[in-house]
Amino acid sequence: MPLPKDVETTTPKYLRDKYAIVGVGETSYTRGSGRSTRALATWAVKNAILDAGLTPADIDAVLSYQSGDSTFAPFVAGDLGIRLNFFMDVFGGGSSTEALTGMAIGLIEAGMCKTVAIFRAMNGFSQVRIGGTGARSAPPITGDMLHSRAYGWQSAGQMFAPTFMRHMFDYGTRPEQVAAVKAIHSEHASNNPKAYYKKRYTVEDVLRSRIITKPLHLLDCCVETDNGTAIIVTSAERARDCRQPLVLIRGVVGRCTKPRADMHYEAGPISTVAGAYAREILWPNAGVGPADVDLTGAYDAFTFTAMLQLEDYGFCKKGEGGEYVSDGTIRLGGRRPNNTSGGHLCEGYTHGMNMVIENVRQLRAEADDSCPVGEDGRRRHTFDYREGGCRQVRSAEVSANLGWATPATGSAMVLRRL
Amino acid sequence: MTDDEKAAALRPPADPLGDQFWQSLKEGRLTFQRCKHCGNAWLPVRSECPRCLEADWAWENASGAARLISWVVYHRAFHEAFADRVPYTVAVVELTEGPRMTSNIIGAGDPEALKIDQALRLVIEPDFGLFVPRFTPV
Ligand SMILES: [Zn+2]
Repeated sequence: MPLPKDVETTTPKYLRDKYAIVGVGETSYTRGSGRSTRALATWAVKNAILDAGLTPADIDAVLSYQSGDSTFAPFVAGDLGIRLNFFMDVFGGGSSTEALTGMAIGLIEAGMCKTVAIFRAMNGFSQVRIGGTGARSAPPITGDMLHSRAYGWQSAGQMFAPTFMRHMFDYGTRPEQVAAVKAIHSEHASNNPKAYYKKRYTVEDVLRSRIITKPLHLLDCCVETDNGTAIIVTSAERARDCRQPLVLIRGVVGRCTKPRADMHYEAGPISTVAGAYAREILWPNAGVGPADVDLTGAYDAFTFTAMLQLEDYGFCKKGEGGEYVSDGTIRLGGRRPNNTSGGHLCEGYTHGMNMVIENVRQLRAEADDSCPVGEDGRRRHTFDYREGGCRQVRSAEVSANLGWATPATGSAMVLRRL
Repeated sequence: MTDDEKAAALRPPADPLGDQFWQSLKEGRLTFQRCKHCGNAWLPVRSECPRCLEADWAWENASGAARLISWVVYHRAFHEAFADRVPYTVAVVELTEGPRMTSNIIGAGDPEALKIDQALRLVIEPDFGLFVPRFTPV
């Protein structure tokens, strides 16, 4: 059978809109879940199945990602009564949600399974803290610390921060500009009843908080929480039988790296992140560009990671990320809101999955805020973004999630509503 | 935390190539690898040239001259072994010969006053049984 004419190996355009995210679910975001990661995962996947209007018998594949801190797919499948045609647990944190969604498409396309649940479950506060304290601070035994351990170069944010430091030097970016990311995400979180931190912060609050590692203040860093999150991916064809408005996958790029992913600082310029490479796959795959996107989910492990990604995926000119994140564009009511749930900085820390969940709900016009629910079960959004109010983006049609693992590794996904 | 525990926390994991790098430092030399095939020079240590994939390379001594690519200042330790060192500076430095490496900046007075691209020179410091290549402003 001849392939469509526009097919090239890196851009399978014929898969555009052929797959959908039909279910999303999560546990509550807490510090001290009192549950195992297995129980958290089961709870989250169950919620995603119910959200989709499916039954466990409809799910035949489960994928998960973790960093040696979580349960495995077969246990969760067993607890849900799911018989598997495929499962895989991969190593990794941030940037995995988008990458695994792309893999799910490939698995279904290869005829190996039909409907895939993807989960991330972590006791990120009460068990293994990503900030590098607790169990994670134990000296590692892998060979990749050869050239960092002796210098006391530990903890994710501190390993990322030289990128931001250099960005400030190269482009004149200022701490108060990225502090706006926390302030704005906290406004969004104040309209998200399930957010761990609902309090609104100001740019001054961020700048006044203590320095953890120059140039990072405490409030530039994300929250650490316990939670499970899950999404369900299937073909658009099967998605039509599901309960929710259709949210189609336009294009994905997964775990795309800068040169020398092991020690990317050895190749300049270091103020550029993986998005500068990933966008060359994302936008052609999705058939849209930054200007077509109504809302973003730029990974905010730190305030500056959201800024760097928005810039390198082309939402503004190179070097203008500081301006872009502080001029009101990314605020609810602005031209292109970012992380309307409050993201990692406020809602909860999930290694990226809560940002995908949020954008799916936004595209359904079903952001779970405090707006009243009508008799038809649909939310009546007020679009009044004041504290405690609405967080639905008006006419949200296209979203982009920009997942971050490190400055050197990123994944991204464009979704659209039908 | 005992001194032995602190030393264990600093010590790089055992690795045949990495051990050669640290052994040279003990002898007062900071080394990097240079490909005999294509001339590429690199750090951190690898068994093949990442440009041409030849395994035919040699150690070369660095002059010790370098410049500051970027840095951060730790005001909080993420491992107990470093608790009595805060604030300390972790940097990415570029050797004059080309390779870049992670290191610390010492003897800079106020670490907040460091300047990106400023000139540095090598200081090899004994530290819990290791000889650690660190840099100081020229
Ligand atoms: Zn070579």
